[in-house]
Amino acid sequence: MSNYKMCMIPAYPLENVQLLKDRVIFPYVCYRTFGESLRLVTKRTEDYPYLSYLEGVDLIPLPEDQPHMEAAVRYMSEHAEEIDLLFLFGARGEYMKLARTYKSLRPDGIIYLKLDTNIDWANAYPLHDSQFSIFLKDCDIISCEARRLQSFLYKKWQRPVEYIPNGVYYPLYPEAGGVCFEEKENMILTVGRLGTAQKNTLLLLYAYALAFLQLKEPWDLVMVGSVTPEFQSEYEEFCRRFPPLAPHIRLTGNITDKRTLHQYYKKAKIFAMPSRGEGGSPNVFSEAAIFGCTVIATNVDAAPDMTDNGRVGRISLDTEDFDSFAKELAALCLNPDYLARNFHEMRSYMKEFFDYEHLAVRLQMLVQLQSLKRSHS
Amino acid sequence: MNIQITDTCITLGEGVESFLLFEKPALPNYQNVTARPYISIYLGDGATIWSRLQVCTELLADFCHEDPYYACYTLLFRRLYPLLLSSSQAKNVVSYGLPADCGAHKVLQDFMHFLHEGNALTALPQSTYAYTTLKENSFHAFLYCLDAFPSLFAVCDAISKVRPGGLVLLYTIKETLPAELNGLCAHAEKDCFAHCMVYTLTVDGALSEFACANGSEPVILSRAEEVLKRVGDLKNLVQAMLTGSALPGDAYFIAVVILQQTEEILLSVYDYLENDELPVRANILKESVLNYYVGISRQCDLTSYREKLTESSETFFAAIAQEFD
Repeated sequence: MSNYKMCMIPAYPLENVQLLKDRVIFPYVCYRTFGESLRLVTKRTEDYPYLSYLEGVDLIPLPEDQPHMEAAVRYMSEHAEEIDLLFLFGARGEYMKLARTYKSLRPDGIIYLKLDTNIDWANAYPLHDSQFSIFLKDCDIISCEARRLQSFLYKKWQRPVEYIPNGVYYPLYPEAGGVCFEEKENMILTVGRLGTAQKNTLLLLYAYALAFLQLKEPWDLVMVGSVTPEFQSEYEEFCRRFPPLAPHIRLTGNITDKRTLHQYYKKAKIFAMPSRGEGGSPNVFSEAAIFGCTVIATNVDAAPDMTDNGRVGRISLDTEDFDSFAKELAALCLNPDYLARNFHEMRSYMKEFFDYEHLAVRLQMLVQLQSLKRSHS
Repeated sequence: MNIQITDTCITLGEGVESFLLFEKPALPNYQNVTARPYISIYLGDGATIWSRLQVCTELLADFCHEDPYYACYTLLFRRLYPLLLSSSQAKNVVSYGLPADCGAHKVLQDFMHFLHEGNALTALPQSTYAYTTLKENSFHAFLYCLDAFPSLFAVCDAISKVRPGGLVLLYTIKETLPAELNGLCAHAEKDCFAHCMVYTLTVDGALSEFACANGSEPVILSRAEEVLKRVGDLKNLVQAMLTGSALPGDAYFIAVVILQQTEEILLSVYDYLENDELPVRANILKESVLNYYVGISRQCDLTSYREKLTESSETFFAAIAQEFD
C-alpha cells in the first residue's frame, strides 16, 4: 500500500495550540508524505484557527454528550474499515480499549504509538497490568523521543522501540531560512513556563550571574514565557542584590505571536535550557536550533540528542549545579568562533536529523516493513 | 471438588467422578515400609506416615479448594509420594510456577520435612533464567506449571536439571497443550481430573538426550548462528553502501529487513546476552541505514548520514564480535 488512510485520536480533546505540536504535526507530515487522507478525531474544546495551517486534514468532532474516549471507541467501531494507520500519542490507559477495538476490526491495520514520555513516566508504566501489556502488543510501531529512553525501554520492555525525536516542520518557519549569524546579538535566551519546578529557571538566573563575572563583553539574558509569582519575587530580589546585572536581564512575559518569538530566536546566539526534566526534546529547542542558536542544556533525557553528544551544544550534567552550568555558559560566551561555526553546524544537524519530512519517510519505511512482516506471518 | 479421607484411602471427588489418590498399604507396620532407617520427626511425635498424609491432604483441601489448580496439586502430591518414600536419602524438589506462598507449597513442604528434615522444596522465581543457577542432574523432581511458561525449550531445560530416575511433573489447567509440547507429553503418564492435567515423565537416557537436543542451549546456539549469518550479510551490504558500490534498488530495504530480524532474534535471547545493549544497537544501525536511504532519496548531502552509519555499524559489529566470537 502506498497511500494510507490515516487517523489521529488524542487521549484527551485537542486544544487549538496542539494542532501545531508534535502530536498532530508529525501525523500531518506523514499524511503529506505517504497518506491519502488524515482525520483528527476529537471532542471539540474550542475553535481551531490553526487548522488553516493543516491543509487537507479532516477534523471529525465527537459528540459533545459523551466522554471523549468513549465516543472515540464508538467512532472506531464504526469507522475502523476506513483507517489503515492509526496514530496514538502517549502510552495511556485511556487508549487500551480504543487500540483493542481497532485491532479486532482491522487486524491488518497499523497502530503507531508515539510515546511522548520521560524516564519517570517510562518507569511507572503498569507492566503488571495484562490489559496494558495487550495494549503495547497491539501497537505495531512504538517510538520514543530520546535515545537514552530508547535504550532504557529496550531493557524494560524487550521489544523494539524506535527513536523518532520531536522534530521540525520547516514550512511553519519560513523566517528560519533567511537567518544569518551576523545579525545575532550577545543574547542568551530561554523560553518556557518560567519559575516552574520543571523548568528550573532559577539555575539559569544564578548561573548567568556567576558567568557574567568572567565575560569580556556584556551578554543579555532574555527570558520568555509566563512567570510564576515565586519566580517574579526571586527575580526582583536578584535585581536588588545584583544591580549591575539588572539592566541585562529581561522578562518578556508570555509571547503568543510566533513572529515576535521568532525574532528572539533570530537574535539570540545561545539558547539555555536549565530544565529538571523534559519528555524528549521540547519544541522550543527545535525552534531555537533551526534559528542557529547554540544550545546549553542540563542533562535531560534528550540532551545528548539535542547536542549530538556535545558536538553542537553543551550539557551541564547536574541539574542543581549552578557552578557547572555557569562554567559551560561562560565558556560558550567566550568562544565566538565556536558560536559562529556552530550556527551552521546546528542548523545542518537539525535539517539532517530533526526534519519531520525526513522522519516521515523513515516512518513510512517502518510501516511498510510492518506490513511486509505481517504478510509473511 | 472434595477430598474423602478414610483409614485406608484418600480420594478426590467431584459429582459422580472420583480419583483414588492414595491407598494405605496392607502392611502391619506401615511406618516401617520404607527402607529409610531414621525419620526423626516421625519417630519424635509418634505420627505415622499415613496419618501425616491424611492431615496434609486435609490441609491442602482447606487451603486450596477454591484454587483452580487444586486437583493438579493433589495429583502432583500423588506422583511425588512414592518418590519421596523411595529411599532414605534427602530429596531435592524444585518448582516453577508454583508460588512459594501458596497453600500447596506449604503443605508439600511440611510433608517433605516430616519425612526427612533434609528434604528441600525450592520455588523458583517465575523466570526461566532462574534455571541457569541450577546444577544439571541435581534434582529428584521438577514440578513445572505449563501455564506459567508453555515452552518446549524451557521444559527441556527443566528435564536436564533432574537426575536419572527422577520425575518431571508438568501440570496445566488449560484444555489444549501448545503444539510444540504435544510430542513430549505423548510419552508421559497422564493423570487427569476435572480440568486439571498432570504429565509425569521419568528421566532416563532417551529423555535426557531429547532434552539436551531441544533445550535452550541448542536454541541459543542456533540463534547465535542466525545472528552471525545475518551480520555477515549485513557487513557486506553496509560496506557496499559506505564505499558507494553499485547496489540493487532494494538493497537498503533488504538491509533493514535483516536488521529487524537480527533485532528480534537478539531480543528472543535477551536474558542470555552478556551485552544487553545489543538489540538496541541493532535498532540504531537500522535507523542509520534508513537515514542514509532517506538522505539518498531526498538528494541530501550524505556526509553526516555516512558518518553515523559508519559509527553505528562499527559499534554494532564490534559488539557482536565480542558477544559471539
